[in-house]
Amino acid sequence: MRKIRSQKSKVRSLRNIFSAVLIALFGLIMTGTNASAELTIKANHDHIKIDFFYNGSTVSVAGDADSGTDLIIKIASPESHEILKQKGKVAGLLWMNTGTINFEHTPNLYSIYSTKKVEEILSTEEADKYVIGYPALSRQMEIAPVSTEDERSKWFNEFVKYKESSNLYTTSSGKISITSKDGKQAYYILTAWPYQAPPGDYLVTVYAVKDKKVIEKAESKVMVEQVGAVKMLAGMAKNNGALYGGISIMAALAAGFGVGMIFRKGGGAH
Amino acid sequence: MYFYLPVALTSINIFIPVGLGLAVGLLSGLFGVGGGFLMTPLLIMFGIPSTVAAATDSNQIVAASTSGTYAHWKVGNVDFKMGLYLLVGGFAGGLFGVQLIKVLKATGNADFVIKMTYVLMLGIVGTYMFIESLSSMRKKKTEEIKPEKESGMAKFLKSLPLQTHFEKSGVTHSTLVPIIFGGFVGILAALMGVGGGFLMVPVMVYILRMPMHVVVGTSLFQILFNCLEVTFLQAYTNHNVDFILAVLLLLGSTVGAQIGTVFGRKLKGEQLKIILAAIVLAVTVKMVFELTLSPALLLSQAGGH
Repeated sequence: MRKIRSQKSKVRSLRNIFSAVLIALFGLIMTGTNASAELTIKANHDHIKIDFFYNGSTVSVAGDADSGTDLIIKIASPESHEILKQKGKVAGLLWMNTGTINFEHTPNLYSIYSTKKVEEILSTEEADKYVIGYPALSRQMEIAPVSTEDERSKWFNEFVKYKESSNLYTTSSGKISITSKDGKQAYYILTAWPYQAPPGDYLVTVYAVKDKKVIEKAESKVMVEQVGAVKMLAGMAKNNGALYGGISIMAALAAGFGVGMIFRKGGGAH
Repeated sequence: MYFYLPVALTSINIFIPVGLGLAVGLLSGLFGVGGGFLMTPLLIMFGIPSTVAAATDSNQIVAASTSGTYAHWKVGNVDFKMGLYLLVGGFAGGLFGVQLIKVLKATGNADFVIKMTYVLMLGIVGTYMFIESLSSMRKKKTEEIKPEKESGMAKFLKSLPLQTHFEKSGVTHSTLVPIIFGGFVGILAALMGVGGGFLMVPVMVYILRMPMHVVVGTSLFQILFNCLEVTFLQAYTNHNVDFILAVLLLLGSTVGAQIGTVFGRKLKGEQLKIILAAIVLAVTVKMVFELTLSPALLLSQAGGH
């Protein structure tokens, strides 16, 4: 048994050496033509637990990249769709809800952090391909009903404003700190995680950019989850509405009577 | 200190809901209104989704109105008989109002009709109460109160069948009167998505001719039952009640309702009426501003009324 195993492991280690050499060779060829080597990413605090005293969190994103590249970090939730109420002027005077508008292919949370302004370091085609930046997001989003291009861009801008007001959308440049070490650069950014972001899985991607092109990308995940009593209450509200409603009412009645009794004992009333 | 709200999916500084609860509970104890017309927009302003704000407020009102009804009942200011008739009407009116909303939504201008009804009702009720209580305060200063002139309305009400005496309020009416007017308020309340206390109070004061202090207690009593029903339906069918938010709000509102009741006994009926009228008018003005000034955001969460 031992022998067989050691033989097997010998074979395995030989194979490993072989593949390592291959990779190294491949790497040499690649570095000859392209600056790319290794881009790493680590999102710290990648499992956010929502408990009773939760008020948002912070997530740091760090890693190494080749020197001479610009970096773009994107944090986004999976694409979905949103139906929102839209306000408009009625009779040229009164602001009212005039209907609903549908936004397709929209992440609920979308943050872009870059070393320089996205439009300066990335071509439009590349931005569209990886959906980096508001203009790219606008081009991939479907908005209905809109009749003209102007109207479309107006409602896209309103959508971004709406999202930014609850801290779900952000873009900023120049906030990633870079330190160089042995011909590489280490990057780091601390981002505020909004409490408005609902439970779910979020994807953190870092893009290394050179000559207006994405040359490499690396991914990490942030998981947001409700725990403990928060999870229990949210689950009960959704799955057992009758019991939840009953408890809510009983608690309210008890509190009302309780406070009434206390005040009587307190001597405030006759 | 922040608390996370599991249904609203947002976080709030606990002093905000406790403070709001205290202020709105005070109004409940004083005037016999649920205060939804103040609380719901304030909660939305602090980032609570509109549907959750309305549903959770009704849960909170259960506590505040229990506290308030209890306090008023101890001093003999709840007319249970009248309250029950109003409830019967209100319940039927609410059912009808919900159907009316469906019809309006089908025609496509529900929002316009609802907003306009709301502003007009607030404006008319506020103005009428304000002028009436102001003039009766003046009258009292200059001369003794003249016996009430029998208006056409009063004569008509007297001519209806099923007349019965309401001891607590000291009035005699046909049982149909509170049922019909309760129904009317119920329709409007369902239409506007509010409890309707600010409409019920004037109905009791001006049409049912009840003394102001009994009006407050009786109004709280019938609000309690309305909100019980609404809270349950909201929790059961829409899953919009946030228990934690409701608890934070009722911490303030149950105490506020007690304080309001104590203050209310120190004020005269006319004074109570004129302050309530001023608050209703202030809300009207705020709504008119909201309708005419450009909003900061043109998009909002869908759902709700």
